[in-house]
Amino acid sequence: MRRAYLSTVTWSLALLAMLAAPRVGVADARPVVQQAPSASYHEKIAGSLVSFEMVLVPGTPGVYLGRTEVTWDLYDIFALGIDVPAGAQGGADAIARPSEPYGAPDRGWGHAGYPVMSVTREAAEAFCQWLSARTGKAYRLPTEAEWTRAAQRAADATRLAAGRREALAWHRDNSTGTTHPVGTRAADAAGLFDLFGNVAEWVTTEDGARIVRGGSFRDAADDVGPGARSVQDATWNQTDPQLPKSRWWLSDGSFVGFRVARSVTPGDVWRQP
Amino acid sequence: MNRDELSAVTRRTFLEVGTAAAAAMAFPAGLFAQGSDVIRVGLVGCGGRGTGAARDCLTSSPGVQLVALGDLVPDRLSQCQAQLDKVASENADFASKYNVTAERTFTGFDAYEKVLAADIDMVILATPPGFRPGHLTAAVAAGKHIFAEKPVAVDSAGVRQVLAAYESAMAKGLAIGVGTQRRHQAEYLATIQRIHDGAIGDVLGGQVFWNQGGLWSRVKEAGWSDGEWQIRNWLYFTWLSGDHIVEQHVHNIDVANWVIGAHPIKATGVGGRQWRTDARFGHIYDHFAVDFEYPSGARVVSMCRQIPGTANRIGEHFIGTKGRSNGAGEISGSAPWKFSSPTRPRPPMVQEHADLIASIRAGKPINELKQIALSTLTAIMGREAAYTGQEMTWDAVMNADQSIAPPNVAFVPLEVPPVPMPGRTKLNRKWMEGWA
Repeated sequence: MRRAYLSTVTWSLALLAMLAAPRVGVADARPVVQQAPSASYHEKIAGSLVSFEMVLVPGTPGVYLGRTEVTWDLYDIFALGIDVPAGAQGGADAIARPSEPYGAPDRGWGHAGYPVMSVTREAAEAFCQWLSARTGKAYRLPTEAEWTRAAQRAADATRLAAGRREALAWHRDNSTGTTHPVGTRAADAAGLFDLFGNVAEWVTTEDGARIVRGGSFRDAADDVGPGARSVQDATWNQTDPQLPKSRWWLSDGSFVGFRVARSVTPGDVWRQP
Repeated sequence: MNRDELSAVTRRTFLEVGTAAAAAMAFPAGLFAQGSDVIRVGLVGCGGRGTGAARDCLTSSPGVQLVALGDLVPDRLSQCQAQLDKVASENADFASKYNVTAERTFTGFDAYEKVLAADIDMVILATPPGFRPGHLTAAVAAGKHIFAEKPVAVDSAGVRQVLAAYESAMAKGLAIGVGTQRRHQAEYLATIQRIHDGAIGDVLGGQVFWNQGGLWSRVKEAGWSDGEWQIRNWLYFTWLSGDHIVEQHVHNIDVANWVIGAHPIKATGVGGRQWRTDARFGHIYDHFAVDFEYPSGARVVSMCRQIPGTANRIGEHFIGTKGRSNGAGEISGSAPWKFSSPTRPRPPMVQEHADLIASIRAGKPINELKQIALSTLTAIMGREAAYTGQEMTWDAVMNADQSIAPPNVAFVPLEVPPVPMPGRTKLNRKWMEGWA
């Protein structure tokens, strides 16, 4: 009977009200003082000491991007099932977790504070699903268009001038052949770190192509920047000894990582700290 | 793809001039010269690595054909076929080499005998390591060239059996390659050649590591006997895997023996099971640290760990009187050097098959079985030092009365042997005797 008199308009209003409701839980009584998305916010993973920061990037209207590449600290909670209670079979969220890798996906270069690497796009996407389930916010990989707009903004052009590149990016000539902790080069104009170099970053494309952007620590200085773009090829997992090859880990993808994105929604309002 | 059609075209002819026994006695040299004949390959052990090894073998060289598959259980065999079918559908060269017909697929504990009898020239042995000594012995007796995954044994009796198979294979001129792919990896080959030429002076010792997270495990499913569960979950039972120091870390221990040019004569070690306490993990350890002493006085510390969330380190480090090296592309000291290559080397797991096949075709068969048998025994010596808590000598481990497989290897009720306990576990051990 209720359906009979609830008009489409009424439904829409109800949905809007739901979307506008605070997402941080009923206990949060801090007043909403401004109806615009905050320029940045911190997300803490409940039950852990790990948090990360999302930044509203000028030039990518309506989209937050991670201030840094996703770190091992954050990825381990997902990959090692640190959030799964002892004795439980898998996560209550029923999201698939990565297989145990044969070998060392971090190559022993460093772990805490370093960007996650050697991950397939499927793994990065599964991580985003897990993160969304953990936080109640819809995290995802950036689209290639979003990444490109942020990168061009950060570089002030489609190319990255040599002096700025040196300040911003870990590349072949300054990395000594390994990744480095996130946020240890300068931030770009939008406040993002490591968009260029360190690990190349997974993005999504309309045609489903497997693309990483930005270049990495192992690319020549001239090959990192807003135009850097690589398509996955057979060399990225050619030494995987198993068949089928891992759907979670790239045996030869030490240069492949990602950062997360999230669309601004009506619930993204500034709260008094 | 019509595999029967391919079979008719590529079927080899030389066996028609003699019996299989005659071929076994006087096999190969020259028979495969100039690549004029197809080398027919069978796979025993159709898990992820066996399937990958078959792919690597076919990818490595022209004139090879995969013609037979054997596994203990049908589901693993059909998964392997599905994977190889997929590769074949995407790769015409691979498809032309993939020629397995239904009548040449075999399951059961005797599948390896049927593969060996399926008109093959070479067999890939990729079952859990506990089966390797028996499979090697049978393959050599049948006169087949062999690619055997590492390790090649899990106990002293198994190593002795493999060394006997090595001698027999040498007498027959058979080629045997093993899955220690670092021996075929350009960075290692170039670096260790330099070390042998004196680039770091006399080698005083070093450290070798395989520290990583956990690995896959299988919980027992309804309908599985204990025996089936243990074999499907083989990493976690010493009679099947040798424990992870033997199963995985043998790679790095083999590099130490290669660099030093000898096997150690003594080992002292510690180890235990700190995280891996759940029943699904059988009875093996999750960490070892061993000091190996070589005849020259060189000392190599070996460390291996499989615990999730701990620091990863996989590799080697050697110290000499004039410098040091990671064994794999870098030398520092009086003659600093870094590996570089104008071209990307082939993946070592493909190169090892290319080298094996090429040696068969050249009539100069390589035989790596002794070297991996000695490295396998080195790893077993380290394991025994930790398991028993005693100092182990090479001779004691080589000659030990240690044969740890169950008397009846079958899909039957089986106990899980106790977790080894230093101070109580004995070097001379049987299936359920001498563990703790």
